[in-house]
Amino acid sequence: MATIEQTTEVGGPPATAGGHGHDPHATATGVTNTKLAMWLFLSSDCLFFGAFIAAYLLYRGRADQAGPSPKEIFDIPFTSATSFILLMSSLTMVLALAAIPRGDHRRFKIWVLSTALLGATFIAGQIFEFTEFSREGLHVDTSLFGSSFFILTGFHGAHVTIGIVWLLSLWGLSMQKRLPTAQAERVEVAGLYWHFVDVVWIVIFTVIYLVPQPGR
Amino acid sequence: MAEGTVERVEEELGDVTRGEFGHALEPAPGLLPGELRPHPSPFKYVVIAVILVTVTALEVAVSYTEGDIPDGLIVTLLLIMAIIKFSTVAAYYMHLQTDRPIFRRFFVLGVLAACTLYAIVLASLSVFN
Repeated sequence: MATIEQTTEVGGPPATAGGHGHDPHATATGVTNTKLAMWLFLSSDCLFFGAFIAAYLLYRGRADQAGPSPKEIFDIPFTSATSFILLMSSLTMVLALAAIPRGDHRRFKIWVLSTALLGATFIAGQIFEFTEFSREGLHVDTSLFGSSFFILTGFHGAHVTIGIVWLLSLWGLSMQKRLPTAQAERVEVAGLYWHFVDVVWIVIFTVIYLVPQPGR
Repeated sequence: MAEGTVERVEEELGDVTRGEFGHALEPAPGLLPGELRPHPSPFKYVVIAVILVTVTALEVAVSYTEGDIPDGLIVTLLLIMAIIKFSTVAAYYMHLQTDRPIFRRFFVLGVLAACTLYAIVLASLSVFN
């Protein structure tokens, strides 16, 4: 890992606690406010996703529901492929982050654009899946299973879409040479968000798609 | 509060902070702010991705054993593999293993709070029966 120039007072908060020189304010904890705020946001977002997953688990097994059941419509091979794509996007994201402190902006641009494209592919897969489900008679208002499924996966899809926009903005800044190595933390914070979207999908994929469904 | 007291409290808070993050306030050469140890190498990231893909493939394979082995065992295996994948991404890709502990504490707190809260809600509604 390349050396990042920074000034640190021994025994006190870092003089450039904002990290990489873009936040000159020292913090009492010695960690940057931006990164700490992102971790706090992700921590609170766990409760958001938890609520939707719990609602899905509560409603999926109801026997008296109209429309197709989970087993009838879930296409596990297709969802496995989109999960693989999202996992690979986490790899490209972390490779982008590894490139920027080295000052390797060419690789950074390649990896961050790859991440956005993989994310877009995942979203395309989700849109295709939703369209297929709709064709087979499952809509958001068909049943409690439909409502909880579409809201949970749609909420996750919205997160992925925001992440894609964020990554493309970083790519655009880099193309304009407005993302210097000293601002690597901006990439790191975006990366944290992207990996969070990935870990949430790990849970959704297992709990929603793979775990045996009751009441079929 | 007297001015001297405020200064003393600030000094004590500083001591606590230095005790908690003492070495982290002085990052070693080559480390980014917030890192305790260097992030993994790109090669290690690729190895981790291979592990994640392998575990995902195992998950899918286990899900296809439905009817052959008890559902309880399938659920247990799937949850264990999901926890392995979740922890691996959080530890290595989100750098919780190499960054300062404060980030890990915040995140673990959120995850545990969510799991506990909704486990209680679902248990109270007899979802696990």
